[in-house]
Amino acid sequence: MKSDKVKLPPYTTAGKFWKSLLICLPMIFITFFFLTGGEPDFSDTTNSIAFILVFLFLNFLFFKIIYTGKTDKFRATGFILFAVFLSLVFITNMVETREGMSFSSADLLECNIPFCHIVITMILIPIVFTNSIIFPGSILDGFAPVSTMLILWILASIALGKGFCSWGCFYGGWDDGFSRIRKKPLVKNINTIFRWFPFAVLLLVALSAAMTLTPTYCEWACPFKTVTEFEAVTSTETLIKTIIFLLLFLGLVIVLPILTKKRIQCGMFCPMGALTSFTNKVNPFDVRIDKEKCKDCGICEIKCPILSLDPTSIEKGKTHFVCSKCGKCIDACPNQAIHYHIKGTPVNKRNTTARTLFVFSGFLFLAIFSGGTFQMGIIRIINILTTGSFF
Amino acid sequence: MKKIATICGYIWAVLCLLIVLIMFPGLGFFSKQLASLPFMKINPIYSGGDVEQIKECKNYTLQIHKPVFEALIGESSEGFIQISWIWKDSLPGILNDSIDYNTDGKPDFIITVYTTNGDIQINPLNEKVKALIASAQTENGWIARIKLKK
Repeated sequence: MKSDKVKLPPYTTAGKFWKSLLICLPMIFITFFFLTGGEPDFSDTTNSIAFILVFLFLNFLFFKIIYTGKTDKFRATGFILFAVFLSLVFITNMVETREGMSFSSADLLECNIPFCHIVITMILIPIVFTNSIIFPGSILDGFAPVSTMLILWILASIALGKGFCSWGCFYGGWDDGFSRIRKKPLVKNINTIFRWFPFAVLLLVALSAAMTLTPTYCEWACPFKTVTEFEAVTSTETLIKTIIFLLLFLGLVIVLPILTKKRIQCGMFCPMGALTSFTNKVNPFDVRIDKEKCKDCGICEIKCPILSLDPTSIEKGKTHFVCSKCGKCIDACPNQAIHYHIKGTPVNKRNTTARTLFVFSGFLFLAIFSGGTFQMGIIRIINILTTGSFF
Repeated sequence: MKKIATICGYIWAVLCLLIVLIMFPGLGFFSKQLASLPFMKINPIYSGGDVEQIKECKNYTLQIHKPVFEALIGESSEGFIQISWIWKDSLPGILNDSIDYNTDGKPDFIITVYTTNGDIQINPLNEKVKALIASAQTENGWIARIKLKK
């Protein structure tokens, strides 16, 4: 070993090809099953190419996670591309079915709006008081119905805790991606008090939604409308809403993440991130710091994209409860003092089993959740290249 | 005690992995189970409320929904009523219907829809009926919402 930088992490799988492959075998079988829907059919060339590319891509990423002992770089590759492909597929679907990215009054009045997990923050109080869902969507039918999205979020949060925000959320990849563009941040030393801001946003949107019985964040403040769908501009009000979400996307998802190298939208604004933070309390996986190995260099604090590390949390030997378990601090620590950990098990050592169990769960969720989107996206790209049309 | 905590921790972690494994194959089943819970219904503010009267006309079916006065607690002093038209064969040029939403035997308003240009006229016959607040042509009909005072 020449230096700490090239030293392999002390996992029993790192650098061991056959052992890593053995651990990847279940992932290979499971992804094959889910990507083919349990019924492999290679009669269509375009579909077959899409399947092979996605299958190889996802399993290559997981193999690299196990073999190299590094998590973040390979997780982020899948996570960021998931966000991009979801927008590609979603927007092209919108263009196909509605001839544009905007939804109409008829879609609103007929409750045809897809439900996204962020809306959960706004429906909770009204559910208690009105015994109903305040959203113009469908409970069980159509694209992204309420019950399916609720179940996905509940189960993903139980299984991954706030890891959902770094392994499953189909929006998070946008600011994760933009936060990686610059090598060094232009704006440094962001006060960790900003990690509480999403909780203020959560409180505000939950109360305002309850008082008005409207999903206020969706209507007025969601930056991700820019890459999905939005209300057609037919009045001054809808024009103002459009300007707001475009500016929020530009500021919170593009410019500030580039300048700070932090996931500003996810870590400092998203009300869903705040709500999902509480699920870390009921999830067995967390991130710990080995105080014997830690040299207080502060690199982890600088690298953490959502401000979940500061001198106080490092002193306590664990990340703050807003941690989304992305693995960036673990990979960046030059002393290999930070590690995934299972609650109840001994701390202060890098444990291969704890890491493997978490990254397997996290990546499996990402792979199954994103697999269909990746395949559909590739089919659309092949179509546009070969026929000039997405469909 | 430490050993028990360790075993429990690992069991908990393996259960989480199993949740991810069963989540997607069981998504349809879990969604249906969740959808059957009493609170899993769209609020009338968005759904338009339950259909209370159905009138069969020559070219279309007219649906008069229950007036909606939803509030977080109790009822709001302002609400709306949704009227839906569903075409039978082809789109009529003009729709003209008198609506008696409170079923007192007297029409509460007359609504005219010019389907060719989307213009809608409301002629209130009851002081509680105010103005049109939303309307849209749907795939097989038309929807209009009219503001009401309680």
